[in-house]
Amino acid sequence: MRLWRQTWLLARNDLRQEARQLELVMTAGFFTLVMVVLFAVAFFSLDDDAQAKAVPGMLWLGVAFVGALTLTRVFGREREANTFNALLAAPVDRLAIYLSKLVVTVLVLALCSALMVPGLGSVFPAAGIFDADPVALVSLVLLGCIGYAAVGTLFAAGLASAAGKNVLLSVILYPLTTPVLLFALVATQRLLEGHAELWSVLAQMLALDVALVGVGAWLFESVLVGAGPRANPARSPRVSS
Amino acid sequence: MKYVPHALLALSAVLFPYCVQRVFLATPIESQMGTAQKIFYFHVPLAWICMLFAVVCGIAAGVQLRRRSDRAEALALAAGEMTVLAGLGVLITGPIWGDATWGTPWTGDARQTSTALLWLVFVAYLLVRTYGPANAERLAAALAIFGAINVPIIYYAVKIWKTTHPQTGVVGSLPQDMWNTLWVCLLALLSLAIALVWIRAGQARLAIALDRAWIDAEPEPAPA
Repeated sequence: MRLWRQTWLLARNDLRQEARQLELVMTAGFFTLVMVVLFAVAFFSLDDDAQAKAVPGMLWLGVAFVGALTLTRVFGREREANTFNALLAAPVDRLAIYLSKLVVTVLVLALCSALMVPGLGSVFPAAGIFDADPVALVSLVLLGCIGYAAVGTLFAAGLASAAGKNVLLSVILYPLTTPVLLFALVATQRLLEGHAELWSVLAQMLALDVALVGVGAWLFESVLVGAGPRANPARSPRVSS
Repeated sequence: MKYVPHALLALSAVLFPYCVQRVFLATPIESQMGTAQKIFYFHVPLAWICMLFAVVCGIAAGVQLRRRSDRAEALALAAGEMTVLAGLGVLITGPIWGDATWGTPWTGDARQTSTALLWLVFVAYLLVRTYGPANAERLAAALAIFGAINVPIIYYAVKIWKTTHPQTGVVGSLPQDMWNTLWVCLLALLSLAIALVWIRAGQARLAIALDRAWIDAEPEPAPA
């Protein structure tokens, strides 16, 4: 109970800050629109058959790009205000820090997807996004975003204490999030095709999300302990050679 | 224990010429794929070595995170480098073989894609180790653990996405002659790989110890 309360308090703090400035929502939302326009320009001449095959890829590439941007900002704000070390020193469960950042990231990603899905649907009408089962579509997008954010939050937090290392986040994030993005891609294709196995793929995605959040939560503290400068405690002092 | 890598290097030095002799002169030419199949004796052992050291790197990284062990950290680093090296070999020999037998170097099937992604993850591991911030070794360890967990998931994901492996049954249906040659090649390459990882891990441990000695020798900053 205490963990959920702490998570909620930390997430509410971030969301309130966001509601005052709207920085993340505006920048990530605008970036999403730019991407939809760029996809529209780049793939303008796709014929109807190709649209249905290409749109799932565009959707999840878009989520991957917006996700990297969002994760950088979620922790960048802490770094600029120098509050990340304070957060680590605060008497809260470290797991609550992970979960609260995860919640914020997923919310921003879901908001961006809410722009991107209709955007892609109207630019590429032959893909038939608007004809798809809305419940399946929403759960698919949410599951994909959660899995992506579960991996991303861990590594963005690990890089949060180092300025100018954001390029490493992209280096880490894209290879590591491939499994969940691939699953999301498969599920989106099946959704657009009206495939009967859609719900079984969604169930597998749910299992994958649970596993990713679990591993992320398990590793979060190990990765972050001593994240501040010159804090490198309790290692064996010398190697016997 | 000190001379184990030397012994392994000597073993592989003796075995390599024997391998080449066996592969090209003693083993019969495969009936369907012809001489192009000879690359199999290097491709498959390299792929196994790549997977093996990916798992070793993931486990060592886990131990490193849990126990803060320098030994495990050095082993993880060396195993990560070997994974990238062997993976590069797999990714070069695979398309050559594929081009000769399937007519196209890249079919994008489950095994190819998962190997390529595994390779990317471990390149990212080395990049983070090399260019990362102060806590890079912990971050990289988490990356290696995720990487090792990801491999089967990627394999499965690509499999349900694209199920067109043209030659799944190749390894299972080999005559005994070819199996024997494969084992000899595997032994040569594996002993070379273990020796290299062993030497590199020792060197990485020394580097870590040197870093630590450097930090310990630095005078404490005077209180302001």
